[in-house]
Amino acid sequence: MSAIGELSTMTRRKGPMTKEEKKANGRDNKAAYIFLLPWLIGLLAITVGPMMMSLYLSFTDYNLLQPPEWVGLDNFVRMFGDARLHNSLGVTFTYVLVGVPLQLAVALIIALVLDKGLRGLPFYRSIFYLPSLLGGSVAVAILWKQIFGTTGLVNQVLAMVGIEGPGWISDPNTALGSIILLHVWTFGSPMIIFLAGLRQIPTMYYEAAEVDGATTLQKFWRITLPMLSPIIFFNLVLQIIGSFQSFTQAFIVSGGNGGPSDSTMFFTLYLYQKGFGQFDMGYASAMAWFLLVIIGAFTAINFIASKYWVFYDD
Amino acid sequence: MPENPKGEAVAPATASKTRVAAPKAKRRLRASALVAATAAAVLALTACGGGGGSEAKSADGKVELRFSWWGGDKRAQLTQEAIAAFEAENPNIKIKPEYGDWSGYWDKLATQVAANDAPDIIQMDEKYITEYSSRGALLDLSKHDIDTSKLDEAALNAGKGEDGLTGIAAGINAATILANPAVFQAAGVPLPDDKTWTWEDFERIAAEVTAKSPKGTYGAAAYGTDEASLGVWLRQNGKSLYTQDGKLGFEPSDIKGYWEFLKQMSENKAVPTASEIVEAEAAPLDQSGLATGKNGMAFWWSNQLPALEKAAGGELQILRFPSKTGKAEDAGLWYKASQFWSASSRTKHPEEAAKFINFLANNVKAGEVLLADRGVYPNSEVREAIAPKLAKADVKVVDFIGAIKEELGEAPAAPPKGAGAIQEIIKRYTSEVMFNRLSAEEAGKKAVDEMKSAIS
Repeated sequence: MSAIGELSTMTRRKGPMTKEEKKANGRDNKAAYIFLLPWLIGLLAITVGPMMMSLYLSFTDYNLLQPPEWVGLDNFVRMFGDARLHNSLGVTFTYVLVGVPLQLAVALIIALVLDKGLRGLPFYRSIFYLPSLLGGSVAVAILWKQIFGTTGLVNQVLAMVGIEGPGWISDPNTALGSIILLHVWTFGSPMIIFLAGLRQIPTMYYEAAEVDGATTLQKFWRITLPMLSPIIFFNLVLQIIGSFQSFTQAFIVSGGNGGPSDSTMFFTLYLYQKGFGQFDMGYASAMAWFLLVIIGAFTAINFIASKYWVFYDD
Repeated sequence: MPENPKGEAVAPATASKTRVAAPKAKRRLRASALVAATAAAVLALTACGGGGGSEAKSADGKVELRFSWWGGDKRAQLTQEAIAAFEAENPNIKIKPEYGDWSGYWDKLATQVAANDAPDIIQMDEKYITEYSSRGALLDLSKHDIDTSKLDEAALNAGKGEDGLTGIAAGINAATILANPAVFQAAGVPLPDDKTWTWEDFERIAAEVTAKSPKGTYGAAAYGTDEASLGVWLRQNGKSLYTQDGKLGFEPSDIKGYWEFLKQMSENKAVPTASEIVEAEAAPLDQSGLATGKNGMAFWWSNQLPALEKAAGGELQILRFPSKTGKAEDAGLWYKASQFWSASSRTKHPEEAAKFINFLANNVKAGEVLLADRGVYPNSEVREAIAPKLAKADVKVVDFIGAIKEELGEAPAAPPKGAGAIQEIIKRYTSEVMFNRLSAEEAGKKAVDEMKSAIS
């Protein structure tokens, strides 16, 4: 709560507001709205406006070149029979359900190691954070493509020990795995949050546990994890939402076509192809809203489930 | 968050302070998770946006036209020179170039047109011209001052449709196989005789080159990543990609053999493995297998030879497609309009745009710069005038186009609306077949279904 908010609650508690107080309050509000204005205009013009437009377009047949035509729920009905869309959902779910837990696990492990009071912590922290900054970029996706190519670095190393590796990103069986690995590699930002969370756990709990003869593993399960659970939850929610929307990596690694054989055809990539490649913007808009519903559902489930495993120390 | 509460927690007094502070911080964390979640989810809906109005006149009263094309460095350089030549003759018109790769070109153009921000002059492809013209996005050039009297008739007709003359052919092209003699020489295999060879010869020769070359080099690149080779295959079997009334011109059984043969060639190592084919698809022209000496032969359009020779750093040879009978006239080749010059129907300066297109198509000065980069010039006068200026590579292209004139099959039907999606479908099912995920027969059925719905 902001300082102004707390102050006004305090005044209110004393009894009904006097005229002057109301006036002052109104002035404050006006000033607040003026300060909010730049952000508000931005929100309306580049978020709410386009959102409403896409909601409208999702009920139309819109080919980008001619005015949209109202078709009711047609686009949503079409989604049920679209096998490529179903495949793209499968790909996206796999990516989220495998990639996110893996990434968080790696982030947590590295955070635990770094938390052991390593010398030069800021340096390691920066090094591990670096992929998070780079991971979503086009350049790294291109690099990834080189590393995991048929004659790339990975296969060169494998060849030294006599293994002939597949073309990791050009084989439909391993392509998605390579992109998940790229996602896991960007564990830096959840790691930083975990580190901050670890530092907030009071040491007295550990000291008490040590007095009682607890092992390291017990301390981790009974102190660290429960105390860290709000942070894990926070990371989980954000990463799931972000992963559902990931686009760049698959777009670059597959050369924009979600290949080979649609094995990296993310939902967002298919949406993009439909909208901009095949002039089917109405359908693409309907897909975007469908994705919002999916993400909303996942987040809701997450929040409901959190009651059972997230421990708030209050 | 406190810098290091752990260290302080040793003293009981501070520990209790941390305890008091913690719940509030955590409650706030829960709230901020919710806010962040909403914000992040909403971003999904507005990931794309923006745009802007096109500016008609620049500050000094000149008319400014935007001109967009796809292509590599060489084309960009030549086109800029042509623009300079035009501007020298027309000091009150300024041409602003916008160019990029083929892959991003169409996404960008679709967005620009939708945002009412289309370039004034647009380099168009036959796959998309019906799409755009039938939706009223292209100017009918016959209503403007463009001289079409010297243009090759077939090339001119390719730009005509129900919505008028919406494109002027920039060049004439043919589907070809380009061979790298250096690869053949290194393998000790003689170059094939393209007037008599069959598909069996193609396979045998390619496999021989692979066998006698270092690992990773193949006798031929795979087809199946574009519709040109499928077009040839279908024509040799009495079918076509499209019919005159804009329908698909073949059945699943017709495409089955196309994939079966490709798969057989891959198993015999005449062409690369499935993974290598997928990787090769993504490579730009400069890094293609032919340019880097990894392929003895590959499937390209005739106008791409000069750029490929430059990238390969050596001479290449143009070959006719093999046929089923071993007769060149059964190869089923055709003249294709390499690209079209089109204008946006919403341009504020249709006269000036037409003037520029007229210059590109009919002016010798433009021809002297552009030469054969966009194919053989459709204007016979320009073609003659620039003949002495052509480089060796360009001459090869022009000679080849001339040599096959008598062997050509019937002119194919124009690609209908939605044809832009066909190439991607072919590519995808080629990999389904190559990775053994679908049989050639199943792939044929599914691909034809998808193609039919794409162009319906």
